[in-house]
Amino acid sequence: MAAFASLGAQTTDLIPPGKADLRDTTQDATRALEAFLASVERKAFRIAQIALRHEADALDVVQDAMMQLSSRYASRPAQEWKPLFYRILENRVRDMQRRRNVRSRVMAYMPWRGEEDEDAVDPLDMAVDQGPLPPAQLESDEAMAALEQAIAALPARQREAFLLRNFEGMDVAETAATMKCSQGSVKTHYFRALQALRAKLGEFRT
Amino acid sequence: MKGDDIEAGSSEFERRTRALLLKSAEELPGAVRSRLTQARYAALAARPARLTPFARRWVPVGAAVAAVLALLIVYVPAGRSPLEGPLANAGLEDIELLSDNDAVPLNGDQDVDYDFYEWAANEAAGSAAPAVGS
Repeated sequence: MAAFASLGAQTTDLIPPGKADLRDTTQDATRALEAFLASVERKAFRIAQIALRHEADALDVVQDAMMQLSSRYASRPAQEWKPLFYRILENRVRDMQRRRNVRSRVMAYMPWRGEEDEDAVDPLDMAVDQGPLPPAQLESDEAMAALEQAIAALPARQREAFLLRNFEGMDVAETAATMKCSQGSVKTHYFRALQALRAKLGEFRT
Repeated sequence: MKGDDIEAGSSEFERRTRALLLKSAEELPGAVRSRLTQARYAALAARPARLTPFARRWVPVGAAVAAVLALLIVYVPAGRSPLEGPLANAGLEDIELLSDNDAVPLNGDQDVDYDFYEWAANEAAGSAAPAVGS
């Protein structure tokens, strides 16, 4: 095995001195992909969590989206990664929601339904263990919870348009590419999402 | 229009919702951040190995050379033996003799009737040579 290792070292030494940058191409691409994933992972998780209302499912969905982008689309130009990634993420979210719907329908016919619920939130996870929150933090948390609930209640396309435009900061063209629809549709979905959110969250208005 | 542009053209309601969402993303629990980091590294590990341009150019050449060498090693000894004439196929005949159960044992077996073989050889020599006086 040592012979193979030394062979690899010799092979890299065969790269002509004038083209030394060739050996860094793969490492650069990996670093670029890692930087991209690091830049989107938190927002992607929050987007999935808001849609699914479940932390573990959101993590699974984000990981699936990362894996698919990395294994299938990493060779695409870096500027295409963001629309591709969020399209994959949204597809995964919908797959998860469909699976849940099917499971809940099947479970509804089972005689032992309600005895075991894997998706039930563990009360210990919900417990606040940091003592009383300051009023500003409490207000912020309550506002976030209300906002999250209102966004989750939006139709899927409106939710997607709102989160991509408002949270991820995509422009209309990028959002349209991600959602595979026209820019006019994006504007319509976004406008309707804003209207619905304003109607529910009146206190957000200034 | 990126994030800053959205800020510029948006209402107070949009700015407030955006600030809340960004804050929630920044303040994720450590366990979630750790899981996301693990997921990122798993995704990078799943990335198909890409050959450098240098390797892309030379790996097919190396494979072709290896294939030609393998063909030479396999086919040349069978097609061209270094021995010419009657000894060309001696190797195969030797294998047949050694694997023949009815052949004369070559290991000095005590049960072999050497007198019979000597007589048979003499008889064969006698019949081949012209008889004395004939």
